[in-house]
Amino acid sequence: MQLHLEGSNDINSPKQRVYSLLTDPSFISRTLPDAEDVRVLDGASLEAKLKLKVAVVSATMKMKMTVEKTAPPNRASLVAEGTGSGSTMRIRSTFDLSGDAPTTMTWVADAEITGVMAGMGSSLLKGYANKKVAELFSGISKAVEESA
Amino acid sequence: MEPLFQSSVDEVGRLLGLAKDELEILEDADSAADELMVSEFEKYVERKYNPEIHGVLKRRNLMGVPIDAKYGGRGARQLVESLFMERMGQTGMGVITFADVHQCLGSLAIQDWGSEEQRSRYLPSAARGERIFAYGLTEPEAGSDPGSLKTSYVRDGSGYLLSGSKYLISNGSIATDMIVFARPSEGNGGPTAFILDTKEKGFSVDMRLEEKIGLFTSDTSMLTLDGAFVPKEDVLGLEGKGLSVAYSALLNGRIGIGSGCVGVMEDCLNQVKERATSRVQHGKEIAKHQLIQKQVAFIETSLEACRWLIYRAALKKDEYEKDPKDLGLRADADRLSAVAKYMSSRGAFESADRAVQCFGGFGYSILSPVAKHFLDSRVARIYEGTDEIMELKIASSVLGREFEAYR
Repeated sequence: MQLHLEGSNDINSPKQRVYSLLTDPSFISRTLPDAEDVRVLDGASLEAKLKLKVAVVSATMKMKMTVEKTAPPNRASLVAEGTGSGSTMRIRSTFDLSGDAPTTMTWVADAEITGVMAGMGSSLLKGYANKKVAELFSGISKAVEESA
Repeated sequence: MEPLFQSSVDEVGRLLGLAKDELEILEDADSAADELMVSEFEKYVERKYNPEIHGVLKRRNLMGVPIDAKYGGRGARQLVESLFMERMGQTGMGVITFADVHQCLGSLAIQDWGSEEQRSRYLPSAARGERIFAYGLTEPEAGSDPGSLKTSYVRDGSGYLLSGSKYLISNGSIATDMIVFARPSEGNGGPTAFILDTKEKGFSVDMRLEEKIGLFTSDTSMLTLDGAFVPKEDVLGLEGKGLSVAYSALLNGRIGIGSGCVGVMEDCLNQVKERATSRVQHGKEIAKHQLIQKQVAFIETSLEACRWLIYRAALKKDEYEKDPKDLGLRADADRLSAVAKYMSSRGAFESADRAVQCFGGFGYSILSPVAKHFLDSRVARIYEGTDEIMELKIASSVLGREFEAYR
């Protein structure tokens, strides 16, 4: 099952700073919602257990995330892959930065989900994913602004 | 817009024409259906009524879709109301039941049969979502035969006192107002339709009926009337002629339910297509297995056939409403609404059954969207006119009234 999400957020911080934080696994590790056992592996990757809940369905996914600095300071990608609770997930997200304090982050995410969660259908999972992604990026924006 | 709904809107627009304000209603319906997706799922799994249905429809100005614009509604003709219900049907019959009862059975009954004073008093607030209507016809001993209802009334000063039981009433425990049918406690007069304020002292909710096999997000209740007062200003239509009100409301309601069933088929097709093209068994996607393709072909064929039966019934009703004295048009609208409701409710249930089969083991869980449709759509073959009553109506419309089997 495939999901496609997109959106944008404004972050009140210079572009260079936003880019360097968003491509820093240590920074990312501090902003992940519902994460435990977070481990930074090296300058580009981290591991974490993420708790996902869709109504009464809970899944604990062991995820590995890798940052790709595609075109600094304007574009980067994050690839996350993992399994858990009878489901697998692979998400490729790309973000583009424009403007400078405020910096606009425009992002696109494509996810492929198999297993138990896939059976719930993309129309339902998209609703949940939109909520979760909004939380994630709101957290990231706040963390970037507070770290200045 | 959701793609299958977009294709309906495009085709109807191209062949029959849709005005700008009508397209706006359908855009709002599309957004409302998206917005309801998550809460419908959560409440379904909890087996509870979903109050977000009212909240979202109110926020999106969709509580009075077929109500005349002069009373604050969106003024939609039946064809557009049907498209609205089609899109809402993709989220499930729980949403359809709420909307159909409030708009088609409740609000439209007042618009069609009420005095100007009643329309001005009730419809604007109903269209704003400040009122919720229920429709109190069915009783424990009067289902397919509403003429045998036992709820009675006596005159009392400036109004009437109603007493009896009403059963399997959708929106029953959340309604602010109810169209209630009762017969005179003495004499052989026919039933009368009343508009009852549910805050009246003699009205109570006996129990919420939560043991249904599906339709969990719809409120269904058993109600008691024990000397509930209705002022004479709230008789709907003529005293003793309540069954005319009842049957015309059911004509509205049946097209609404049938339209929702089309939406159910659309969602089943979407879910099956997504599942079948991604799930791999025996080294290939199950969509490449011929017996799965047979299910897909059935659902698509059923969907296309029922869509156009519904649109045809809607067009006939719109035609009749332009000339309400033409009894021939009324009879045609009645017949076509019965045909459309009969086929669509069966089509939805069959499609959902086949969709569950395509999902395999996961389809046997209420966490799966197709299981929800399977459980919920079964009621569409029962409420607002059982399959059997629809068959008898259709047959007698062909053979002639003298052959009516249920008189």
